[in-house]
Parts: sequence; C-alpha cells; structure tokens
Amino acid sequence: MELKIYQVDAFAEKLFTGNPAAVCPLQKWLPDATLQQIAMENNLAETAFYVQEPEGYRIRWFTPALEVDLCGHATLATAHVLFEHEGFSGHEISFNSRSGILKVTRSGDYLTLNFPTDEFEKVKIPPELAISLNIHSKECYRGKTDYMLVYENEKQIKDLKPNFTSMLMVDGRGVICTAKGDKVDFVSRFFAPQSGVDEDPVTGSAHTTLTPYWSRTLNKKTLTAMQLSKRVGHLKCVDMGERVEISGRAKTYLIGDIIIATA
Amino acid sequence: MKITMYRADAFTNGPFTGNPAAICPLQNWLSDETMRNIAMENNLSTTAFYIKEGNGYYIRWFTPTFELELNGNATLATAHILMQHEGHQGNEIQFNSKSGLLTVKKLGDYLTLNFPADEYERVKTPAELSISLNIRPTECYQGKTDYMLVYNSEQDILKLKPNFRAMSLVDARGVIVTAPGTKSDFVSRFFAPQHGIKEDSVTGSAHVTLTPYWAEKLNKKDLTAIQLSKRTGHLKCTALGNRVEISGQAITYLKADIFVN
Repeated sequence: MELKIYQVDAFAEKLFTGNPAAVCPLQKWLPDATLQQIAMENNLAETAFYVQEPEGYRIRWFTPALEVDLCGHATLATAHVLFEHEGFSGHEISFNSRSGILKVTRSGDYLTLNFPTDEFEKVKIPPELAISLNIHSKECYRGKTDYMLVYENEKQIKDLKPNFTSMLMVDGRGVICTAKGDKVDFVSRFFAPQSGVDEDPVTGSAHTTLTPYWSRTLNKKTLTAMQLSKRVGHLKCVDMGERVEISGRAKTYLIGDIIIATA
Repeated sequence: MKITMYRADAFTNGPFTGNPAAICPLQNWLSDETMRNIAMENNLSTTAFYIKEGNGYYIRWFTPTFELELNGNATLATAHILMQHEGHQGNEIQFNSKSGLLTVKKLGDYLTLNFPADEYERVKTPAELSISLNIRPTECYQGKTDYMLVYNSEQDILKLKPNFRAMSLVDARGVIVTAPGTKSDFVSRFFAPQHGIKEDSVTGSAHVTLTPYWAEKLNKKDLTAIQLSKRTGHLKCTALGNRVEISGQAITYLKADIFVN
C-alpha cells in the first residue's frame, strides 16, 4: 500500500526552521496501530493524519509513542498542505478532532489558529523548578498545564541551561520561559522533560498563556513573538479576550509516497 | 531546488523495523551546510548522499549534527536503493568514501558489507562503565572504538537499563553488550550516549567486534545475529580472519522530493 506524505516546517520563515510535522492525507482511516507505526517511523515530534468528511476534515495527531489530544503546529502544517498542495480553495478550513472543532484561516501566506486563552495566576516558584534553572526568574505564573517564568531580558532566555533531570520533578506539562524581545514583542523557550521533550522547537499552545500576559504587560493586542529554540520559530499573536489567535507561516520540505509493506 | 530522497530500513525484511536511513542521490555535491540541514530535518541517525564517480559512487554520511567517517547501515540502505530504484546493474557496488573503498555485494535478498575485523583485548571493566549498568557482565573487552561487555543470557541483554548519564562519561564511541542468543547465534545491543544516541537500533560496525569474538567462542565462521533494540535488526556475519562480512536485507519506506533553497 502506498500513501502520500508531506513534511512541513510550521511557524517557519524559512526551511530548516520552525517546528517540523509530517502530514498524511488518507482516503479512509487505517488501523490505529498502523498510524502509530507510521508516526514512529517518521520520527518527528508529530505526524498528522486527516480524512475528508462531509463538513470539513477529521484530524488526528500521533507522536512516535502515542496519539495526542491536540497539536497546534501539526494542524497549521496540515492546513498548509491542504491550501498549497491538495487543492483546498477556500480561506477557512474546519478540522474536527478529539478536542472539538479547530478552524484555520488563511490571510496572505499567514495561517491562523484560534485557541481558548489560558488562565493563570502568580505563584511562588516551586523549589524543584527554581533549582532546575541557572538564572533566577523575576516572576512565576501557573497556567492550566504549564508554569511560566518571566525574565528580565532576551539574553537571559538565550543563556538558560536547564537541568532536565531536576525539571522532571516539576508537576505539569512543561515550563515556559519568557522575556521582552529585542526585535519582537516577546521571546520564549519551552521545556517539557516531563512530557519526553527536553526543548520543543516551537510551541503554539504555550502562546495561549504568553499572549494574554504580554498583551496586558505591553498594553497591545497584536504581538510579534519568537521562540528561541535552536530551530527558531516566528509567530504573530492576537489577544481577543477569551480566545487567542496564533499565526505563522509554513514551508514544505518534502512531498513523497510511503510504502507500507505487508510483512 | 528539488532533490530526490529515499528512506530505507536496513537489516530487516519487515516494515517499521531495522535501522532507518535517508538516501539522497545527487548530480553534484551540495554545500556541507545544506547536507547537514537535510540530515537535521530528516531527524534519522544517518542521511547518506552519493554521486556517481567512474564505475562506482562516492558516498558521504551525515548525522543530524555532524559528518561521519563511516556508516555501514546507511551504506547498505544506499546499495538497496541503487539496485532497487536507481537502475544499478550487476550484483556489486563500489563506494568510495572518507574511509576508502567499500564494496557491497548482493546474494539473493541479502546485501553484504565487508569490513576490517576489530582488534580487542580483555580489560577490567572501568568503574564509570560498571556503575552505568544494572546487571554485571561476565567479561569486558576494549576494541578500537568501543567497549564490549559479555553476558550469560539473552534475558540479561533484554533486561539491561543503562544509566545514560553515567555511561556518557565512559571514554569510547559506545558500549556493546552481548550474549548467546536463543533464536540466533548471538544477540547484542549498542549504547552510545557519548554521541547523543542512547541506543542505536542496528549497528553494523559493532559486529566487526562481535563476529570474531563469537566465531572463536562458538567455533563457527558463519553466525546469525539479532540486535535487540526496540526496532530489532537481523544480521548474518562471517568471520574471515582479518575481515568480517556483515549481511542484511533492506526495505524501502519512502520515495520523495525534498525542497532545498
């Protein structure tokens, strides 16, 4: 059996940056075990699979180890594939998923995801989090799934060298570190050793916490952001109150066919 | 610019097993930076690039972070692609490389690589290696680049849970662990946290140490081997004195175009 496959860099201004995802358009669903094996073989953070339905598309996301409830960057990559390569002609794509309906809109070469805004509160930094970082943060917040640490400047964010062994002890999905940017409104990095990823290249979901924070701090609704991972990601974020719009560009790296041999 | 790229699993005959490698046939060399970027983007242990040269080919291998001197698995995968998809005629391929001439021969479904046998000697297990493993080996050997630890049973090999932080302090390319097999002559695993790979799925080069050891121990020249990584690899090895033949099958997973600006 042969299947079409794409590999796309999401939140990327150029190739070899941003967050890579594989995207497989399917005519009908394959067994879950096959989807999981394809994701393992691809060895990227996420592989998205989609099937056309009467109203929009059904999307599912797999890491090399398991199916996940939601993945923003792979959804953006999938929308890019539909707009650029699979002949979708409108300006808005509706994806149905485990996490409900997700809409992606296109404006120029920017693709926009729309998420619920995170709720967060200022907390005292937990000791296991404090000792896992080589630079002291000035504030610590706790959102629904992540901690967010605010630093003085961009250089501190670049200079962070987490001790991932101690960070593993921190409860929650991961740790966002952020500061005001030199060339953009804010910069960030995202560490999630608890979830098996020491550092994520670009994290759409972290921006549902970052956007309302920086929107209030800088008193502006539309913000430019860079995630300062080794690969670097570029995002535009809009604070809409209860929702956050997160936009980025995507670049196609690979178009091909995979062969699923029957053993 | 558009480039053809393949992915193949080496040392296996079933899908989603063996050691995956990407292979890019090139007309002319790309810049080293572009090849490193492609290897990084592929996120596989090795991406091989080759160009035609005389009657053979010149091959280079990149990990996601640097260029390698030699990689058996990706060479086997490249030979498979040449014979299966790129129209190479005949049952033998000559590759020139940073490590000199490499010949791959095809016999039936098996592709065979020929390497110099490793030289190794029995040593006391270094303390940092000892503490990195949850089961004590019966013997420790030091080859040119790797340590080789011998265990009593396949069960021991399956149960090993290395402490990679401790193991990354061991001064070597990596650590081979091995024991007699229940379904093959011997089994092994290969750990290389020193080089950013906790466990390699199938390691052709480790078998240049394993083959002479087990040939002597079991008193036979032709050996079957299984590497018990999560993905699992199947190899046939032949001890030829100062050379070792390592054979395996390969299957194609992906045929694609990649875009590089």
